[in-house]
Amino acid sequence: MLLNNTNLFINSPLEQFEVTNLLSFNAPLFGYISFTITNLALYTAIIFSVIVGLHFLGNNDTKLLPSKWSILFESFFASINSMVREQIGREIYLPFIYSLFFFILVSNLVGNIPYSFTITTSVIVSIGLSFTILIGVTILGLYIHKIHFFSFFIPAGTPLALVPLLVLIELISYLARAFSLGIRLFANVVAGHTLLKILSTFLFKMFSGGLIIFILTLLPFALFLAITGLELAVSFIQAYVFVLLVCSYIKDAIELH
Amino acid sequence: MSTSNPPPSERASEIINSLPSSPNLITKTGTAILGTGLLATAISQELYVVNEETVVAAGTFILLAYLAKLIREPYRDWANGHIERVKTALENSRAEHTQAVKDRINSVEQMKDVVSLTQGLFAVSKETAELEAGAFVQRQKVALASELKAVLDSWVRYEQQLKESEQAELAKTIIARVTSDLTDEKMQKEILANAVAELEQLVKSKAI
Repeated sequence: MLLNNTNLFINSPLEQFEVTNLLSFNAPLFGYISFTITNLALYTAIIFSVIVGLHFLGNNDTKLLPSKWSILFESFFASINSMVREQIGREIYLPFIYSLFFFILVSNLVGNIPYSFTITTSVIVSIGLSFTILIGVTILGLYIHKIHFFSFFIPAGTPLALVPLLVLIELISYLARAFSLGIRLFANVVAGHTLLKILSTFLFKMFSGGLIIFILTLLPFALFLAITGLELAVSFIQAYVFVLLVCSYIKDAIELH
Repeated sequence: MSTSNPPPSERASEIINSLPSSPNLITKTGTAILGTGLLATAISQELYVVNEETVVAAGTFILLAYLAKLIREPYRDWANGHIERVKTALENSRAEHTQAVKDRINSVEQMKDVVSLTQGLFAVSKETAELEAGAFVQRQKVALASELKAVLDSWVRYEQQLKESEQAELAKTIIARVTSDLTDEKMQKEILANAVAELEQLVKSKAI
């Protein structure tokens, strides 16, 4: 009876991405200042705790011999280190890239846990992150090359007549990076979670349909498991792609092509 | 995969054994009944609502359990291999270091007598120097003595020659005096008288 009642309505698959207020403080005395703890803030705090906790667990109490946990983190570190060395060639950006990778990876993985919230499905997080990075990278380029940074927008050997057009195109392409970087992450994670939500809704209905259908539904459920596995893979791949692109943008800012 | 799976009876007993229990208060049957009862109560009281998220939860749990099972052994082997490799490298370097320290100790040990040996050599060299100094003094004394001897000898020889020449002069003078005396008649008469007197004396004594 209960199951039948729950079947009567279908939640929107996008409902899971809504940022909701969990705890709110209003201060009418101070110009209506409002302090709100949302699910986004809560999960950001959880992600921070998980990252710090995992690294605390993996630091192996500074022993000389590695433990099974510390080897895992050493492997991650070695992979990101080699990527930064190959892409940028300087290790000074390694802490930033490493932190960024773990932030996105853990955000995506925590989002894969049922009943949880994925902060990278929030546009403000993904686009905000990519915009912040692109602004930082631009400042870095201006700091290193001063006015010569703008030569980045004029490809070598451009006829003078085409310079205004090409500068416009290059500028748009440069600014599009800020969007594409964030949207890539956001869109992939949102698409995966939406797909899982839609499929799980269908599967739940099918599982509720009687014993024979329940047994028959095990077959699409296996496919659902594979897609869940794919989502796990996407969590890693998107984190990797994000930091790889950030590396290449930093390299562009340092070397100007 | 299917060959390594345990028989269903063993698998069932594994699951039963994995349930928490203590000998006195909670039995495995009790845990199972309690778990099922709590779940049923939670669902019926709408404390837990079974919905599409439950499917996601089940799927995720199954997938994670499968992945954990799949990855656990290879990861453990790889991690242990890595730890062993690091451990071997550390132990080898420690052994090499110990050996290097031992070698150093041995090489230093070979030089342990250097101080006493040097002190002995110094004493010997000091003694040699003293002896050489003594020998030099003695040589100087010998040289001085030999020079003195030579001077004295030459002096003696000179004195002797002087004496001999004086004696020769004296003898010469005496011979000349005697010769001159012999030429004196008075003297000759006296000598003759003396000789005759001696002969008479001898005859008297019947010596001849």
